[in-house]
Amino acid sequence: MDSVTTHPFLSFAPEMPQARADTREALEGFFLDFGFTGRGDLERLANWVLGTRELSLSPEAALALARWRVEGWLAEVLGPSHVGPSLLVKGRAAFVLVGGARWSADVLMREPRTLPEAWRRAVCESVPVAAPAEVPCQMREQVLVLNPFMELVRRWLRPAGRADVSPSR
Amino acid sequence: MNAEPYSPAMARPRRIMVLGLAALTTGFACVEMHRLLGARGTTVPELFVLALFTLCFAWIALSFWGGVAGFIQLVSHSRVPGLRWPTEDEAAGPLTRRTAVVMPIHNEDPASVFAHVQATYESVAATGHLESFDFYVLSDSTRAEAWVAEELAWSELCRRVNGQGRIFYRRRSDNTGKKAGNLADFCERWGRRYDFLLVLDADSLMAGDSVVKMARLMELNPGAGILQVPPQNVGRSTLFARLQQFAGRIYGPIVAAGAAAWQLGDSNYWGHNAILRMAPFIEHCGLPVLPGQQPFGGHILSHDFVEAALMRRAGFTVWLVPELGGSYEQPPPDLLAYAQRDRRWCQGNLQHLGLVMAGGLHPMSRMHFTMGVMSYVASPLWLIFLVSGLFAALHEWFFSPATLVDFQSTLPGGAAFDTAGALRLMAASLAMLWIPRLLGLGLVLADRDEAAQMGGRFKLVLSVALEGVVSTLMAPVMMLFQSHFVFGTLLGYRVTWSSQQREDTDLPWSEAFRRHKWHMAMGVVLAALTVAVAPGMLAWLSPVILGLWLAPAISVFTARASLGLWAQRRGLFLIPEEVAPPTVLVRAQELSEEGLEPVDDALDHVLMDPRAHALHLALLEAHPMAGVPGALASARRKLLAGAVEPLSPQEKSAVLLDARTLSELRGRRLGVRA
Repeated sequence: MDSVTTHPFLSFAPEMPQARADTREALEGFFLDFGFTGRGDLERLANWVLGTRELSLSPEAALALARWRVEGWLAEVLGPSHVGPSLLVKGRAAFVLVGGARWSADVLMREPRTLPEAWRRAVCESVPVAAPAEVPCQMREQVLVLNPFMELVRRWLRPAGRADVSPSR
Repeated sequence: MNAEPYSPAMARPRRIMVLGLAALTTGFACVEMHRLLGARGTTVPELFVLALFTLCFAWIALSFWGGVAGFIQLVSHSRVPGLRWPTEDEAAGPLTRRTAVVMPIHNEDPASVFAHVQATYESVAATGHLESFDFYVLSDSTRAEAWVAEELAWSELCRRVNGQGRIFYRRRSDNTGKKAGNLADFCERWGRRYDFLLVLDADSLMAGDSVVKMARLMELNPGAGILQVPPQNVGRSTLFARLQQFAGRIYGPIVAAGAAAWQLGDSNYWGHNAILRMAPFIEHCGLPVLPGQQPFGGHILSHDFVEAALMRRAGFTVWLVPELGGSYEQPPPDLLAYAQRDRRWCQGNLQHLGLVMAGGLHPMSRMHFTMGVMSYVASPLWLIFLVSGLFAALHEWFFSPATLVDFQSTLPGGAAFDTAGALRLMAASLAMLWIPRLLGLGLVLADRDEAAQMGGRFKLVLSVALEGVVSTLMAPVMMLFQSHFVFGTLLGYRVTWSSQQREDTDLPWSEAFRRHKWHMAMGVVLAALTVAVAPGMLAWLSPVILGLWLAPAISVFTARASLGLWAQRRGLFLIPEEVAPPTVLVRAQELSEEGLEPVDDALDHVLMDPRAHALHLALLEAHPMAGVPGALASARRKLLAGAVEPLSPQEKSAVLLDARTLSELRGRRLGVRA
């Protein structure tokens, strides 16, 4: 994914009839993983995801929609270098580590470019980078002839026998 | 400062002096012993005693002349030849190569580990050369709680120092090859990104300017494969540890300078607080697996000596550079923890016996293997020597027509015994042990500032005397411990290569009696035998007997931090690092005291704490690790079926390795239907 999709955001959630309970629960679980715990925040975020869509949306479909929305938000905050299959997991970790939920649901619902630059930088710097890219090579096992004198005797007695060397791993 | 490149010819006169004098001294002592033993003709058991004595004496003679060489080296204020040191301009310039600073860990206290990493990191940053270094914590932790706590500690460290992208954390789920395997895994994945590898231990601490100097020396000396900076014991409070720290501060410099002076570019590597040249390390230091079963076969346990030997075999030099300083580690808190560490090292060193004759190694590498073996085998040799001496005397009694009175007259204290000659030999042996200590003491006394930082000259001398008394009393117990380890290894007992105890906790009397009961019993037997057979020897053996009788009390009292701190308040066993601690030590102490959020149950923590959950899943996603399908299946059965049966450690680890199960479980815990 090279291009970044900008998502429409809602600065307020219009009063709407309630969605399916299981859908709402699934969305709340999704946002609990971002560190949101307040009932108000969770409801607003669920509404943000569902928007004006069909209220009978299944939990799976709602979660896919939530992921799509949040990934879009994260892609804009973190920049294209982080876009990839692990964007959501890494971005969520960065969001949680920086304590993003303290800023209430608004922070996710706002257009990323309107967020304070320092805050965006803090999120970027919090993306866990456990290790840099690998440059694989092989550390070859060294062969040691453990007793060269005995090896000479062995070769003399049994030229085809097994050498007294350290075996392979 | 340009220096002539290292060549074996540089080392030859130094080695001839040290080894030649050690051989000469041993020869004299051997002749004197033969004269004492052969007063009435030499028997076969006496020849055996003589052979043992020669081996044991050679060992202390080598240590003695090494100490003297160290004293001369320190007094001359010169650097060993063969290593090129930077000029002032070079020292002020930027580093041109990149270094990975790695700390392999295994079920350690994360608060202490990450405090040390942070203190070293900040110290390197303060030099202005941070750009040339990356830091890696390489975890082999098997305890799930340690694993999750490490992840959180790493994340917190990165946050504190803004270290994302410069401080890395990697955990292996498969601990093949233990610490050496851990390092090899690192080298195979990321080694090619770096020119040098600086290895730290879990309790290591290094000052930034020393780290930078090590990297610069490697840049300036392309033939150098390994530079080892001897670590100094610091940072503990128990009496035992403070005695170790004090002894290391007084005698350590002499020993290290001596080894550096006569071994030059054929020195040894001690496994940590050392910098290695990455390319030859990858190319030439892949450890072999030894033929046969443990304890002698299998994966090499003490990898450092072997890596140094392989590096030397490949034509790269190995240096001991004590003058760099700024290299620290923590001693074990008590005698039993010290013995536990010795047990691991003992098996590791004995395993090197099979490599002494290996083809293509430098003679000094063979010598390092032999010295490593002797550092543990010396104890049983002394023990066998003592027992054989008694046996030789009894043999003479049984096979010569003498009365008990006649027999006793040939033993120490008896009329027919050359007491003056025996005393001369004993005095020579004690001098061999004590003179290097006194030379070390002399060097400190000669430096007014250093002496003042160690409690002043009077308390310094008093501390040396007290340390001498305590170490003399501990020596028989250590001799028995080490003999036990050596015989145990020879008989095929395996050692569990677990992490070292590093906390200052009081030792219960029950534990001390349990561990020392046989030592006390041996003391009783030895005393009874001596009184019955040769009462004249009682005075000679009293330090041994007393040491064995008092073993539990010595262990318990020296394990107390309260006594260590009491001695510190009275200016005893002080080291300058306690009086005027370097910044890196102060910082590490502060950070360790801050502590970390405890992780009582790893799985619970990952499921209930959003921070731990998000971080753990992100790290799993970045570096997926293979789990154990069987353990995961049984864990899922238990957890998802709501069973009350607790998870086994393997099941817990399997769940922590499976992102899907974790997400599912978290949803259930939070009462959410996915």
